[in-house]
Amino acid sequence: MDHARPSVMVGICYRDPRAALAWLEAAFGFETSLLIEGPNGDVVHSQMNVGDGLIMVGPEWDDRHRSPAAIGGVNTQSAHVNLDEDIDAHCARARAAGAKIYSEPEDQFYGERLYGAYDVEGHQWIFSRLIKTLSLEEMSQAGGVTARDHL
Amino acid sequence: MTLSEADRQTLIPAIFYRDPKAAMTFLERAFGFETTMLIEDPNGGPDFHGQMQAGGSTLMIGREGSLAHTSPASVNGKNTQSLSLQIETDVDAHCARARAQGAEVFAEPETQFYGDRTYRCRDPEGHIWTIAQTVKVVTREEAEAATGLNITGWA
Repeated sequence: MDHARPSVMVGICYRDPRAALAWLEAAFGFETSLLIEGPNGDVVHSQMNVGDGLIMVGPEWDDRHRSPAAIGGVNTQSAHVNLDEDIDAHCARARAAGAKIYSEPEDQFYGERLYGAYDVEGHQWIFSRLIKTLSLEEMSQAGGVTARDHL
Repeated sequence: MTLSEADRQTLIPAIFYRDPKAAMTFLERAFGFETTMLIEDPNGGPDFHGQMQAGGSTLMIGREGSLAHTSPASVNGKNTQSLSLQIETDVDAHCARARAQGAEVFAEPETQFYGDRTYRCRDPEGHIWTIAQTVKVVTREEAEAATGLNITGWA
């Protein structure tokens, strides 16, 4: 395997990983970079590039790994994706592919424009673009919260 | 301070805990992550946003609060996503440290067919972590021979 992997990679469970790979490509523009198949053509393991990040799309391969579709829409982890492209166009493409948009594209107090979507099996995704760089002080003031960087 | 470049990595995982502050302490002690941002409600409300650095990657730590933000501890240990951490140095020592801090190691360090030495553990709320160190470069042909599987895209 190559040595250029990021230090953190995300494994995502799907009931139907093969369908998920095609869907993620069509809806979100991710690219399949590795596919490992069993003798019957089942997806044992796969990887997709998400910018400089990497996701592993796999089956529900043991009792503790479940798709949100299998447990009532629960997510125990989700993904925030930073893009450098038109967020509204990205959202329109995802919607056309069947993503459930739960939060329309909107500017946030911390300087990002983002939208939120559920994918084909109910994983939650946030797609965001930085539109304005703010200091923590400006962010705290805008959001009515306390933001600290000295912990 | 402004958001650093590392905060703009393309893919930032967000993981959910019932007690996110305790989780951040665990992640510091067990895995050596560093807290880089903490946003809390000054009046003690549920709003919470933490960020940590793990070997150059950013993670977001959130509080359980809805179906789409649930700790594995609330769903019998189920995980809808999990994390793999790639480290450069001694994975066995990393495992020993995590175990000493309360990680539940359910797969001991072992060298895998693809050339990584890995161990797997659950953190105190049941999130599953795979920790890996590359110890050997394996070709696609070697990996296919070892597993009997068809592999496309092996770099």
